[in-house]
Amino acid sequence: MSTPSTNSVSTPITPTANQTRRKTAYEPSRIHRILPWILFFVLWEVITRLNGYLEFTNPNYFPGPISISKSAWALYQTGLIWESVVASTLRMLAGFSLGLVGAVLLGVLMNRYVLVETWVGPIITLTGAIPCLALLPLFIIWMGIGETPKIVMIAWATFLPILVYTLDGLRSVNANLIRSAMSLGASSKQIFLRVVLPSTIPNILVGANLSLGLAFSALVVSEMMGAKTGIGFIIVDARNFFKINNMFVAIILISLEFSLFAWLMKLLERKVISWREGGLRSSIER
Amino acid sequence: MTLQVENLSKGFGDKDVLKNVSFEVAAHEFVCILGHSGCGKSTLLNLAAGYIQPDSGTIAVDGVPVVRPSKSRGVVFQDHSLFPWLSVIDNISFGPEVQGRTKREARTMALEYLRLVGLEEFADHYPGPLSGGMKQRVGIARALAGQPDILLMDEPFGALDILTRDTMRRELLRIWLQLRPMVLFVTHSINEAIHLADRIIVMKSGNVASIFEVNMERPRHLQDPAFVNLLTGLEGLLTSLE
Repeated sequence: MSTPSTNSVSTPITPTANQTRRKTAYEPSRIHRILPWILFFVLWEVITRLNGYLEFTNPNYFPGPISISKSAWALYQTGLIWESVVASTLRMLAGFSLGLVGAVLLGVLMNRYVLVETWVGPIITLTGAIPCLALLPLFIIWMGIGETPKIVMIAWATFLPILVYTLDGLRSVNANLIRSAMSLGASSKQIFLRVVLPSTIPNILVGANLSLGLAFSALVVSEMMGAKTGIGFIIVDARNFFKINNMFVAIILISLEFSLFAWLMKLLERKVISWREGGLRSSIER
Repeated sequence: MTLQVENLSKGFGDKDVLKNVSFEVAAHEFVCILGHSGCGKSTLLNLAAGYIQPDSGTIAVDGVPVVRPSKSRGVVFQDHSLFPWLSVIDNISFGPEVQGRTKREARTMALEYLRLVGLEEFADHYPGPLSGGMKQRVGIARALAGQPDILLMDEPFGALDILTRDTMRRELLRIWLQLRPMVLFVTHSINEAIHLADRIIVMKSGNVASIFEVNMERPRHLQDPAFVNLLTGLEGLLTSLE
């Protein structure tokens, strides 16, 4: 599930007489945009109701949107939902920023100093192949069940893709841009800050986008093991007490939370690389 | 100010690209280096810029050997090499800024050069969507804003269409007549060289084949008999076999 971005819904263009076509990309009307959502939930409700009569499967295990909303409201009143969303968001922000900064810093060092690359490169290759979820039990034994192992794990999941893309970006900076800067009198520090880094930012963002999904699974899984708040915790808690409805509430929360992060990422991207254009959208006007 | 090139040689692998090249360029002089692709003219320019080092011989400015790139030698690239993440005005103020001027001073200077190349209305655009000719104007303005003593131009109009190319040539001439920097201009277009240069250095497989003084009044015309004579001569020289 993802937020409906603009232009994601399209209908075939029917040519009509006198239609002035001046850069008016097809804008779905508001109702058109939420219709698929409404349809999805209505269909879901209908199927669960049917299931209530016909019992394809145990109706207790397959609640409909209305019943889930009631449970969500009950859960909301205990304060757990708000608390969990805040806790998960903070963990994610902390872990993701840590991983991002760490990866970019190490990337810069590896690119700059051959010694660092020689010694750190093989270690990264060795450990990079381990799925971070496999390391969680170990992290918990080492660091306890507090916030530390969760944040470390999210950071770990974030780290590797960003490092790879950062290195790639640093290595492929256009040599003529560096030459231009040199001939304009830039010092090596200025060249790094004003030419190399900005050239690499698009690559870093590609890595960050890739990391987002991984970091998010790390978040949920780490909350499923030894947490008292968080979206992952709601799932485990619901399982322990056999509250199927709450599980669905948590699943919906996960998708909402992920949409939030994906949106934040888009926002960041648009802000940082507004100068970039390309792709299908800008190649032809519809 | 003079640029002295003495017995310059440079090879890549076992291929000698420049063989014992010598010449001098005087202050305010516009010199074109003319030759086929692969004759070593771009290598010569990269050496003059300080991007690469000679195997033997020297390039020196007023007796001081060129060992690294410097703001006193501005470069205009064929692919313009503008910073795509900076707006046109920020591209041009890059030089003054890294040379230690305040943002405001740099911007004022940049605007001046932007006006010189006639693009003030595009100040806040990113270079991406601009046309090739406009990008190269920005490239020239950026190089000039760095306040170089020498302007090195590596086939700056090579990627432009023929009509834009003619316009840009006239523009460059106008700017040069106004500021009179020393220019070292690499090209493979005989016409371009005759239109622009005070002196044409013809290069052939790594050697200076010949040097022509061009004394015609500017602007020069294709119909001018002197122009035609020189054109024929250069064509003969460049197309004759070794």
